[in-house]
Formats: sequence, structure tokens, C-alpha cells
Amino acid sequence: MRKEAQSGETDMQTQILDEREKSILRKEQRCRGGGINCESASVSGAVSQRACVYCGARVVLNPITDAFHIVHGPIGCASYTWDIRGSLTSGSTLFRNAFSTDLQERDIIFGGAEKLAAAIDEVMQTYKPKLIFVYATCIVGVIGDDVDAVCRKAEEQYGNRVIPVKAPGFAGHKAEGYRMACNALLALLKPHAASTRRLGINILGDYNLAGEMWIIKNYMREIGVPVIGSFTGDACCETLLLAPQAFLNVVQCAGSMLYLAQRMEEQFGIPWIKASFFGIEDTTNAIMNIAELSGDKGARARAAAFTGRESSLAARDVERYKAHFAGKKAAIFVGGGFKAISLIRQFTEMGIETVIVGTQTGKADEYEVIAGLVNSDAVILDDANPAELEAFMKEKGADILVGGVKERPLAYKLGMAFCDHNHERKHPLAGYEGVRNFTKEINLSVNSPVWRYMYPAF
Amino acid sequence: MNANIVNLTTNPCKMCMPMGAVTAFYGIRKCMSILHGSQGCSTYIRRHMATHYNEPVDIASSSLTEEGTVFGGTKNLLKGLANLIKLYEPEVIGVSTTCLAETIGEDVDAIIKSFYAATPGCAVKIINVAAAGYGGTQFEGYFRALHATVSQTQMDATPHNGVNVITGPISPADTRALKALLASTGIASVLLPDLSQNLDGIHAETYKRLPGGGTPLSAVSAMAGAHATLELSPFCPDEYSPGAYLEATYGVPLTRLALPVGLRDTDAFLAALVDLGAVIPQSVGEERGRYLDAMVDSHKYNAAARAAIFGEPDFVHSLTRFACENGIIPVLAAAGTRSPRLADALKDEMAAAAERQFVEEYDIVDGADFERIDAYVEKNRANILIGNSDARRIAEKRHLPLVRRAFPIHDRVGGQRRRMLLYEGSLSLLDEIANAMLAHTEETFRGALFHDLCHDGQKKKNARTKDADGLAGCGERSLSVTTAARGAARKNAARTATHPCFSYGACKTAARIHLPVAYGCNIGCRYCLRKYDCPNESRPGVSSILLSPEEAFGRFKAAREMFSHLMVVGIAGPGDALANFSRTESTLRMIREYDPDITFCLSTNGLMLPVHASRLLELGVSHVTVTINAVDPAIGAKIYRFVNFMGTRHEGETAAAILLANQLSGLKFLTGNGVVCKVNIVLLKGVNDHHIERVVATARSLGASLTNIMRLIPVPGSDFACLPPVSNGELTKIRGICEKHLSQMRHCKHCRADAAGLLDHDESIVFRTGEQKKIPARPPRARLECAEAPKNGAAP
Repeated sequence: MRKEAQSGETDMQTQILDEREKSILRKEQRCRGGGINCESASVSGAVSQRACVYCGARVVLNPITDAFHIVHGPIGCASYTWDIRGSLTSGSTLFRNAFSTDLQERDIIFGGAEKLAAAIDEVMQTYKPKLIFVYATCIVGVIGDDVDAVCRKAEEQYGNRVIPVKAPGFAGHKAEGYRMACNALLALLKPHAASTRRLGINILGDYNLAGEMWIIKNYMREIGVPVIGSFTGDACCETLLLAPQAFLNVVQCAGSMLYLAQRMEEQFGIPWIKASFFGIEDTTNAIMNIAELSGDKGARARAAAFTGRESSLAARDVERYKAHFAGKKAAIFVGGGFKAISLIRQFTEMGIETVIVGTQTGKADEYEVIAGLVNSDAVILDDANPAELEAFMKEKGADILVGGVKERPLAYKLGMAFCDHNHERKHPLAGYEGVRNFTKEINLSVNSPVWRYMYPAF
Repeated sequence: MNANIVNLTTNPCKMCMPMGAVTAFYGIRKCMSILHGSQGCSTYIRRHMATHYNEPVDIASSSLTEEGTVFGGTKNLLKGLANLIKLYEPEVIGVSTTCLAETIGEDVDAIIKSFYAATPGCAVKIINVAAAGYGGTQFEGYFRALHATVSQTQMDATPHNGVNVITGPISPADTRALKALLASTGIASVLLPDLSQNLDGIHAETYKRLPGGGTPLSAVSAMAGAHATLELSPFCPDEYSPGAYLEATYGVPLTRLALPVGLRDTDAFLAALVDLGAVIPQSVGEERGRYLDAMVDSHKYNAAARAAIFGEPDFVHSLTRFACENGIIPVLAAAGTRSPRLADALKDEMAAAAERQFVEEYDIVDGADFERIDAYVEKNRANILIGNSDARRIAEKRHLPLVRRAFPIHDRVGGQRRRMLLYEGSLSLLDEIANAMLAHTEETFRGALFHDLCHDGQKKKNARTKDADGLAGCGERSLSVTTAARGAARKNAARTATHPCFSYGACKTAARIHLPVAYGCNIGCRYCLRKYDCPNESRPGVSSILLSPEEAFGRFKAAREMFSHLMVVGIAGPGDALANFSRTESTLRMIREYDPDITFCLSTNGLMLPVHASRLLELGVSHVTVTINAVDPAIGAKIYRFVNFMGTRHEGETAAAILLANQLSGLKFLTGNGVVCKVNIVLLKGVNDHHIERVVATARSLGASLTNIMRLIPVPGSDFACLPPVSNGELTKIRGICEKHLSQMRHCKHCRADAAGLLDHDESIVFRTGEQKKIPARPPRARLECAEAPKNGAAP
């Protein structure tokens, strides 16, 4: 594998735009104690890896399996989000379809609200879904469609929930979309506030990618703490409505769902904890914390026994690989900061040093934790673009990049291994099962024989 | 999904204009794209393209914000242009607008002018294209970008002998082949655009952020002086046709040709080149010969193909013609884009292809989404799909091969290298189609002939699937449902081998557990009474305990630990599995999450089947036993005291008729969807003993696999307690008579509703001892209410 530090890059002069400098934390800045610029708009022309507000809202709500997800707008937004994520279902497969009002030129001129209303009428008459989400994309607000009114009228007429998610792409970045989705969920839950709590938790921010929600549920079954609502992996309308009965919200993907946890605490009085199920240490901590908070001695004992057993088995499996990982360096570029933190810990467990950490939508406090976890010369980036990833991965001599679909070809072109930590993957990375998959994947990519042959022949 | 909603596009077979525009710009040398709009447009398009081409796809965005939307995006676009020039050093920039920029009325021309004014000495050529997502699809966007490129580039009209070749969206590998061909013919040519390197890059020592391939702008400029233009896109809209523009503006004669796929269209393309002075190398002649040879070699296999072809109109047009010349019957040609001319262009060929093999139904549609395509696939009984990978869900659902071509291909590697153009590309496509047909034949012909011709096989087939009588009058839709269910039927039939009740061979080796979660019953059978439980008594309807779904799940886990050979989970009461459906459902759901492989079986009187059958399919129930004691309401009325259906209690023949109708339609639905069904019949002397054969024949016509004619176990206190007993001889005789209709189960053990272990060796007692203390002193109220409620004698 090529690893020459190409600090004297010649064929491409600019690696980092001036406006981007403050979103990059290098050794020098950290020595001075400076923070990172984050939670701000992307720089025009910088080729951000971020998607838009609509994307944020859609990823959070789409795994609700029995909901009708209608994209109100021109076709593109529905086309590019059709069943692209690996959220699995044990029930309805309705959510795997793409429904769009497919607005045309004449709708832009005369408005699309009537078409939307007619579509909802048809859906109600044909499928009678309990729940419809209407995502209004970029131009809907601009052309003046009153989506709220259409949805309200449909709710009154049919008695089923029709919840508008007004998510024009330009109204912020992906994280704003998360918030809109959380508000839509609150709108769904609001009439169902529960008078009594019971022994049971909600999982927030797990989308059942490759069955990860099922893994977490299995753990909870082992320790005897039932999962009431799953937000939103493998969720259906009926079980979501029971969520206000839970005694605890467990937030896995903090980036997308912390906001919902905070609102549910205010409105329903449900306390929350952050809990990551990535890596042995975090998984064990998550299970133990939940058991502890359940106040059930039996649960605590079962959790201790279970995590003790499983974590030592997983650690033993990881141990076997360690010699293969000696001297390897990792770069991380993922969506949220909380996941990045887990990944750094996980790499540490595996004996791999993390030299670059970037996120699309990390928050200031998460970047502080990240800075505390990595070595002093690691680079931390918010909203990085391909040029920066390329420059720093070369500079730091990273051997493997953990990232999303768009970053994969870049890593490969640079002769680097890659781990798919994205929403399309078909193997779980959460829990003890996930630790094994993750370790296996890192090994098979970073130690693949193909890298040995990436040299010029003549 | 089976109904088209007219106001919604469901599962689109098209993308938006900016997607097409950036694809075309990728074929211009040193060109970088920026989308003027929200951040998401570029990110989504990048993801969509990166997964297909397996290449880094960098597309900038002006990242319009709320402020930009209200006050105009000039500032964003200016900054975006400056930044991407710094990062990528492009020679050309393609600015495509988006829905948002067009709707808020951005004047991109003026913004570009002000950019040049503010950036003296800027040598970058900026081309702009209006690409509102609602103005057309990626197909139109692609040609708009090419039109913008030729119309906004400073042209040099000095006449020369070169030829312009303009293509619609084709794969990089096809582009390379086209380029190589043109280079070998001795004529100078410009290929616009040229994706061959930029979207199928090599692995080089140094990575270049902006790839160096593509049509140089200097070559574009020379297109104005060319000898002729060949535009390989019959459906390119005239107003955005680069060839038409060059003809109208610079007098370059335009010839429109189909994409060179298949023999005729490749011949036509080469002939056009020859007319323009090309010399076709001998090697191309050999390629043609090889393709002819392949056409002959595989013509009989291809004749078995009924193809559904979908995608962009040029693609659909060429592939349909290719299919027709190879004897493949195109039963559907569907364009995702609106292309009213498509039908005229294809109808004669498709009619001829269909007529040759007496195929009655074929369709040509445009503006189609995959929901509609799927409906046509079903209606016209396509057996192969040809187009992009978005049809993979149809392929999966209907168990059809999908030959992947065009864009996008997201579920396989090498989308950028799929070939279909020229003789060699056609040959690889043809081989792939023929091989898909051969693979199907190889996998199925032994079994099919065994079932069709061999006497033993016919018996099995009759036992397993509905026969021709059962299908008569069902119409095409049901026929296709059967097709769709064939895969499920195959899988479920495989499970039968390890199901102790459905397969005699398995009853000594495979264990099963009945989980007693279903307490209530909704019909009253005169032979049934469940007032008490004795752990040593064994008959249907008896259970020592009623389990909650959670407890049942626990018992299942324990049983799985205990019996290594546990193959089947059944729900057989003690009431009716569907009368307490939520309990049955949650039990099965929990188990399925825990164990994706275990076989699910349940037994029911069938009253609620029409309501819950589709959910049973979703839960993965592969085996169902329905107890049908009569198929004549007059006889049924003697057997059933009442039927409680949807909250109303019915008696007499009405009750029997409701029950019967639901049993029959439910059974038919299940077998039609591949569920293996058994029908249990309780032999009641003097009541239905003369009627048994009719019940069995009916069960067969509805697709049941076997029947289990059971002896009555007289229960003291029940109405039929004093019915005369049935001798072994009588039972054997009746089973013998019925054997000619359907296989007979002869190893039934009349199992309890909480049975566990092997059929011959019930071990449920081990669970009972542990739970004995949990048994309520008196049965719970729900059980009291149905104390005399029926138990249909089912043994799943």
C-alpha cells in the first residue's frame, strides 16, 4: 500500500480552502486550545459530503415500516431515496416503496396542493394506512402549497394521522432535517401521553440496519428489560404509540435523536441516556447502564452475567486479529460525532491508531471528546470534503478509511482499505456480533493481497 | 402493492434533469460540475453515480440557504465557482440549475457574467444549463447539457472532413468500444460526450481529483466545421438536439440513428460511417461474423424469453429491436420518460415477434413507473427483465432473472463496464440473456418433466399444487399470482421434508413444539369439549396451561436447547389459532426475530383465514392445517352448533355456509401463495362419512397437499359423545378411496395443544412439571366462556 507522505503535493495546489480552515483541528490549534467550527452551513463549491434537510428527515422517519412516505415535490428527491437504506423489517414492507407527487412544470405554476390532496385521498381509499408522512421538498414552500392545511384536512376527513414534514433542502443542513423528523414523531406521540410508566425502554436512533435493532432487542430480552418503542428501526405505528409508557429512552444515534429524547423528557417525563452499541466496551456499558437504571436487581445480575460472558468471548475473537493490525492507522469519516467516538474506542480496542476523524454533523461537545481520545497529531475535521480527506489521508499515512458510500471510491483510488459504515451495508456492526463483523471486515480489507500489487509494471 | 395510484408516481423509473446534465458534463475534458441549489441535490446525485460507476464522483453545490432562497443565490454561486476553481482547477465548469434555482428565478447568465467581471484573467469556460427537476428527466437533462455545450462554446466553422458522433447516455465501456471503432476506420471524428475514462478510471500511482479524459472543448469547437453529424439517439428532443443545433446554425448535415445495438442497427451505423468515407477493418467484419454465429447458436434458447424492457427511450427502442431480431418476445417496452413516439417506432416489430409464437399480450408504454411496469410484467407474463437494477425488487418478488444494463446498477459491481453496443457488446448481451434462460431450464426441467409425465410425479403435483380445474376461470391475474408464489412454494415444500406431520419420514427424527397461546374459539363443534385437563391425556384441544406470547417464546427457547432436532413451531390451540390472532401473531413474530429458520405451522378451523392469511405469509408461516368436516352447509349445520363471525353469532346452515366460504377462500389463498396446506376431516359416522370423498376432492381442487381423515375421539359430555365408533378397517377403506384424490396422512397422533418433542414421544410433560404451579385453580374467564367451544381435532 502506498503510504508516502505527500506534503509537497504538486499537481493540485489548493488542498484546503481558507473558509474551511476553522473547521479543521490540527495539532497546532489544539495546542493553543482552540475549538472547532461546527454546526454551521456548508461552504459553497467545497463539495461537502453532507446531504440536505430533506435527507435528514427522510432517513429518520423512513424505517417506520407501515407508514406511507409521500414525497411532495419533483421526482428527483424520491428517486434518490428509494429503498437505499438497509433498514430491515419484521412486518410491513410498505416503506420500501418510493411515492412521489412527481410535480411537473404546470404544477409549479398552478400549485401542487390539489395533486397532493388527491393523492392522499387515493391512498386512504386504497390502502387505509394508519400513518402518512408528507415530505415537502425544496420548492413546495416557494410555490406556496399549504401542505399543513392539506394534511390537517385529510386527518379530519379520515381520522388517520397525516403528518407534514416540511423539509426544504435549503432550510439548514442534514441535522435540521433530523429535528423536523423528531418533531413529526412528537406530533404522532402527543395524543398518547401515558399516565403510568412500566418496565420497558425505548431505543432511539437505531434504524435496524442489517438487523441491529434486533440485536439490541435480543440483549434486552436477555436481561429482562422489554423494548417498547423502537425509533425508528423496524417500527410500526402501533408500537410507537406505546412509547410514552417507557421508563427510559436509550439514545443510540445521538446526532439524529437526542433532540427527540430531550423533548420526550419535557413532555412525557421520560429520562434518557446516550448509549452506543458499537464496540465491546460501549456495548457492555450500554447494557449495564440500562440494567442499572431499570432498578431491577435481577436485570442487573443478568446483565452482568451476560455482558461478562459475551464481552470476553468477543474480546477473545478480537485478540486473535491483533497481530494483523499491528502498526495500522485508521481514518474515520462518518455522519455523527457520537458514532465517531465509538469507532475511535473500537479501533483502540483493536490496537489501531486513529489518525483522522471527521464527521458530517458533529457537535462541539462531541468534538471535545474526540480530541481527548486521539493522539495529539491526529486531524479532526467537520464537514470535510474529498480534497481534504485526500490530503490528510495521504499526509497521515492512513491504511483504512471508515466511511460512507461516496467516500469508498476515493479510498480505493488512493490505494487504501475501506470499511462500509454506512446505511446500505448488509451486515450488522452493532453489538458483540457487530464487533466480530467489524474486526473481520477491517482485516479482510486492510490485509487484502490486492494492495501489494498496486505498483507500476513498466 | 397492486393498485396504481394515479396521483402518485410509485417507484420511479426515471431521475431528474441535473443527474443527466452532470453525466454529460463528465464527458467533457477537465470539466467540473456545480449544481445551483440545495446541498442535497449534489450529494444524492454523487451517491447515485458513485455506486454505479465505482468511481469518486465530485460534484459541487452552491449550497443555497434560506437567505439565498429569499434574496437570491448570487453570492453562493459566485463563491462556489471561486472555490471549486481553487480546489479542482477545471478548464470547464458546467453550472446546472435545479428545481430550487429555477423556481426562485435565478439569472445564472448574469451571475456568470459578474463572475467573469470580478475575476479578470479567468480562463475557465463556464457553461450553464437550465435543469429544473420538474422540467424533464435525466434523459432530457443530458441532452440539454450537450446542447448548452455546443451552443455556448466558441465554435470554429472552418470546414474539415471529420465526423461528429453524438451519443445518448451509454456506459464508459461502450464509449471506449465506440471510440476504438471510430479510430480504426480512418476518418477523423469527435465523440461527444466521452465518459470512457472519467467514469471508469484506472488505478494510477497518483490520484487526480479531476480526471483528464473526455471530449476537449477544442474538439467541440471544431464540430461546427464537420462534414456530418451522426446522432445516435432517435428520441433526443429536437429542441435540445446538439446535432440539430449544428445543422441549423452551421449547416452540418445531421443523420439520426438508433444506438448501434444488435445486427441491424450496428450495420446501419457502420454503413453510415462508410458513406462518410470510413474503411471498416477486417476485424470488425470478424466480430460481426462471431455475433451472427452467436445469434444462431442461441436462437432456440432466446425464443423462450418473454422480455420486459424498460428505461430511457433510446435504450428501450434499441433493446426491443435487438430482442426482436433474436426471436426474444418483447412483451413489454416501457420508457420511464414521456416518449409518445416510442409506440409507433416499435409496434410493428413487436406485433410480428408476438404473432410468431402466438403471444397475445404485449404492451408499449411511456412515462411508466416500476409499479406500472410490475403490473405489466405480471399481466403479460414476462420471464426475464432487461434494464437497470431498480427492477431488482420485481426480480426478487417474482423470481425472474434481471439482465442489468443502463443506469443505475446499484446491486452489482462493474455497472460502468456493461456492454451492449456494436457487435461485441451485442454478443455479450445476447449470451447473458440466453444463459439466463438456460439457467432456468437447467434448474427446472428434471422436476418439471417428472411432475408432468411420470405417474408418481403427477400424483405429487396434484397433491401439491392446484390442478387445471382449480385454475379454470381464475383469469390471468391468478395465474400470475401462482407464478409469483412459485418460489415460496418451492421453499415451503422443502420444509415439508422436516415437518413431522406433513412428512412421515420426518416424524421419527424431527421434533416439533405446540405453543398453547390461543385460548378462545369462534365456532362450536358438537364433538368438542374442553372442561378439564389431565396431563396424561392426549387429544387435540387439551393443554395444561395457557401461555402468554412471552412465556411461549421462553418455552420455545428452552425447547430449542432441549431438542437439537426441533424443526417446527406450531400453534394448535387450545382454542383456534386465528381466533386470538394478536397472541398468535406476537408469538410467531418474537420467535421469527430470534430464529429465522424454524418452520411455522398452525392449525385452524379456517373461519378467520380470509382476514389473517396475508399476515401469516408475512410472518413466514409455511404450513397450515384447516379442519374442514363438510363442504355442504346442510351437513355442516349438523356438525357446528354456532359460528361467531365478526361479533355476530350465526347458527344452522347460515353458520355452516359462512364457515365454509371462509375455509375455502382462505385455503385457496394460502395454497396460491405457496403455503403447504393439509385438510383435517373428523370422520363422524352417520353425519359426514358418506361425504368425505367430496371434501377431499374439494381440498385437492383448492391446492391442499394432503388430507388427514381422523377418527373421532368421543368426549363425554359433548353432543357427539355417543356417536358410533369407527373401526380401523373403515378408516383404512375411506383413506384408500380418497388416496386417488390426495395423499393421506396415516401417522397422526392426535396431539395435544402443548405437545413437544417427537410425534411418537411426547415430552411436553417436562415443561408442565415446571409450570404446574402456574395453572390457575379455575380456568381463566376467557376459557370458561368457550368451555364447550370446539376443538377441531387438528394435528398440525
